[in-house]
Amino acid sequence: MAKPNLRKLNPMDFTKMTPTRDAKIESAPAKALPATESYVPNQIANALHPDVQHLKVAKIVEHGTDAKTYFLEANSSKGTKALAWFSAGQYLSISLEIGKVKLTRPYSLSSSPREALEGNYKLTIKRVKDGLASNYILDNWTVGTEVTASEPLGVFTYEPLRDANTIIGIAGGSGITPFRSLAKAIADGDEDASLILLYGSRTLEDAIFQEEFKELEKSCNKFKLVNVLSHEENEACEKGFITAELIKKYAPEGNYSLFLCGPQAMYDFVDKEIATLGLRRKFIRHELFGEYFNPSKETDYPANVAPEFKVTVRIAGNKQTITAPADTSLLRSLEANGIAAPAHCRSGECGWCHSKLVSGEVYTPKSIDGRREADLIYGYIHPCCAFPLSDVTIEVPPMKKY
Amino acid sequence: MDKMFDVIVVGAGNGGLAAAANTAKEGLKTLLLEKHNIPGGCATSFRRGRFEFEPSLHELCSVGTAEKPNIVYKIFDDLGTKINWEYEKGHIFRTIAKGENGFDARLSAGIEDFVKSMEKEVPGCEASVRAFLALKPKLDAAIDYIYATKGNPNGLVMLLKHADFMRTAGHSVEEVMTALGMPKKAQDLINTYWGYLGVPTDELNCMHFLNMLYDYVVNGAAMPRHRSHELSLALVDVIQKHGGEVWYNSEVTEFLYKEDGSICGVVANGEKLYAKEVISNVIPHNVFNMSDIKKIPEQNLKLANAREFGISVATIYLGLDCSIEELGMTDYTVFIAGNPDPRVQNDTRHDDGLYIVNSLNNVIPDSSEPGTCTMFFTIPVYGNDVPKDLKPQDYKKYKNDLAKKYIEAAEKDLGISIMPHIEEISVATPVTFAHYLGTPEGTIYGYKLSGWDNLMARIAGEQKDFAIPGLSFCGGHHTRGDGYSSAYIIGDTVGKRVAAKLKGGA
Repeated sequence: MAKPNLRKLNPMDFTKMTPTRDAKIESAPAKALPATESYVPNQIANALHPDVQHLKVAKIVEHGTDAKTYFLEANSSKGTKALAWFSAGQYLSISLEIGKVKLTRPYSLSSSPREALEGNYKLTIKRVKDGLASNYILDNWTVGTEVTASEPLGVFTYEPLRDANTIIGIAGGSGITPFRSLAKAIADGDEDASLILLYGSRTLEDAIFQEEFKELEKSCNKFKLVNVLSHEENEACEKGFITAELIKKYAPEGNYSLFLCGPQAMYDFVDKEIATLGLRRKFIRHELFGEYFNPSKETDYPANVAPEFKVTVRIAGNKQTITAPADTSLLRSLEANGIAAPAHCRSGECGWCHSKLVSGEVYTPKSIDGRREADLIYGYIHPCCAFPLSDVTIEVPPMKKY
Repeated sequence: MDKMFDVIVVGAGNGGLAAAANTAKEGLKTLLLEKHNIPGGCATSFRRGRFEFEPSLHELCSVGTAEKPNIVYKIFDDLGTKINWEYEKGHIFRTIAKGENGFDARLSAGIEDFVKSMEKEVPGCEASVRAFLALKPKLDAAIDYIYATKGNPNGLVMLLKHADFMRTAGHSVEEVMTALGMPKKAQDLINTYWGYLGVPTDELNCMHFLNMLYDYVVNGAAMPRHRSHELSLALVDVIQKHGGEVWYNSEVTEFLYKEDGSICGVVANGEKLYAKEVISNVIPHNVFNMSDIKKIPEQNLKLANAREFGISVATIYLGLDCSIEELGMTDYTVFIAGNPDPRVQNDTRHDDGLYIVNSLNNVIPDSSEPGTCTMFFTIPVYGNDVPKDLKPQDYKKYKNDLAKKYIEAAEKDLGISIMPHIEEISVATPVTFAHYLGTPEGTIYGYKLSGWDNLMARIAGEQKDFAIPGLSFCGGHHTRGDGYSSAYIIGDTVGKRVAAKLKGGA
């Protein structure tokens, strides 16, 4: 048998390649190219992930004395024509300027995605003692106030291929908001799951959305509300705290997923209870833990840290030096000095504030360290949960301008 | 503040990073502008729960080892980086094709073992497989000659000395294989790799494919230990160490031209930034759309209009709460197709086409916590495969339906149980890539390596194709097309070229 060879192929075909290509190019029109936004995947991407959403307060509903629901609509005069669709459980990162302080806050959407199609996002905001943003919003936002928000963000969402079909929601305080969204999304038919909501409050008066939840229970047999009251006896409610026993009482046969959203004190208590249930980790989901304070309480926090440090900040070619307290996250120190810095989740997780630690040392609590492996090699930090241990120089990305 | 730079690089994808690292290292005042808050484009990583996922890299080609470094190793090494390279051991892939003339084979790394594994699957194919691989050094010799003649080779020398090059470089993979008498089944086995270049092997230029195949066979595949984010941060580190600047969240919205048609800068974050040379990692389509159209040479505009966008992908990332052993995956890469023929795989991609399953724990065992593992599915699709009437509110269901289909297919095809172990899941489609990369239709690398627009023809046309003075391009949309390694190589080449030009003129 002859050795394999290429004699059957004409080498001169090689010389035709360039003329063929030239002819193909020559026959094409020299016209302007279609806009990138004209292609279907780009259209959907832009609708789901706008760079920014310009919103306007359209209506305000008060819940007792210290919580309000803001109805936000697209502010078309600023260029936002429609509200982005989202998954129940997601949040908006709201940009605020309070005096010279520029900051962001993540707020879960309490409305369902379908309500966004109908023209409204709802943010339900509860007053937090000494809370800079919540107090500002509750005292200043009125109908007509313009609001700058991110695209919908976050992963505290129901994922049918991952989660059990029955979700037991565990909510405390303003942690109720993503569950209001999920309950409505289930009722709307946009999520195919069942939700049993254990809602912990001091008294029934402190529990918001009661009327709406009752309506949803009536119209949708996949949603059930259980109020758990710590400081009030009420026949229609459970008394006490959310314990393992209580979860078992309402749990279905077979698998269920626990979704938790509430204050740190609730997690501290409920997580211990959950640990006794022997659930696999995949069936336990926490919403963002929220901002972290007081790193010195951690056992691995170094001793004898000075009370404050010099922080040199480089942003897109500009440089500024500020004084930053050791017990305050670098992000908060930047904001307090009027330096706008990118941030979304403010809980160490999303990485939006990803910045380079050029020199110096910082402390990041292990429990909220959401950095990537290579970040540790090359000295990157998440300023939202990084606390200075020496004078530092950091390079922070600029805020995008809209 | 000084807003004048020697070099502005637009886009911190693989090409842009490699280009900027080179110009900064050469002492040029370099600014790299990136619209995202992290570098790399697809060469990054993302976290869900306790998992950190590799979003895009399957196997990096042309790396080699410290002892036998290949071009990509050298690029990173010459720039002074220390990458933690990890290597796939043993088989380079397992390929399963269903249906008539199907197969389930594992092909080995190293020429001898590769040939042996082929002969085992297709008795009698050895000579043709050897002959195919043996073309590679001949192609290299021809390319060296063409470069030595500065692109003006003597026709007679080419015909007499480099006829095999001309026969190979002028034909498709399958034309060359058939001429060598390679059995169809052997062709299909080897051509499993077509997906990495995005064009079926009856159309794909043979030389291009052979370059890739040969490197995988000889060197095996490499991966950075800490996902692609490690590669991207390493290159950023080079830029910054040499005094270059990297600005994130700084999307370029306009390219600035002088009266004479040459580029003089860009606008980013509403600010005009000037440079002697601009290097774009951004696809020409988008650059032209951000330019005064009158400044674009007619041929360049026609070329852009003539081209089709290259392939995109849908991807599924799974974090599982079982070990890789419990899962029962023994291979790093498995290609699974409903039919052994690449053209059929391409054409039937919506139903029983090709999908790829990667299990990173088989190369880097501790890439996830003990008792867990990750899986990464890749399904080649085009941006225009996304249904035209798909509404944003139906997108989550679209993604989950797609993921369910392929996870169930893998459970069946591989005889393993995946679904009950899913602790984290993320699904990407061309919509995701359109969002993240900003490319038209979510194309990953740029333009399709069509028969008429193949590697060799692109190299021959390079001067004409990139004709805007002061503006260079790098990335997958350049001559070499798809692939991580190609993007690094082009970025490196272009960075060096621009540096030489500026320094030569100083």
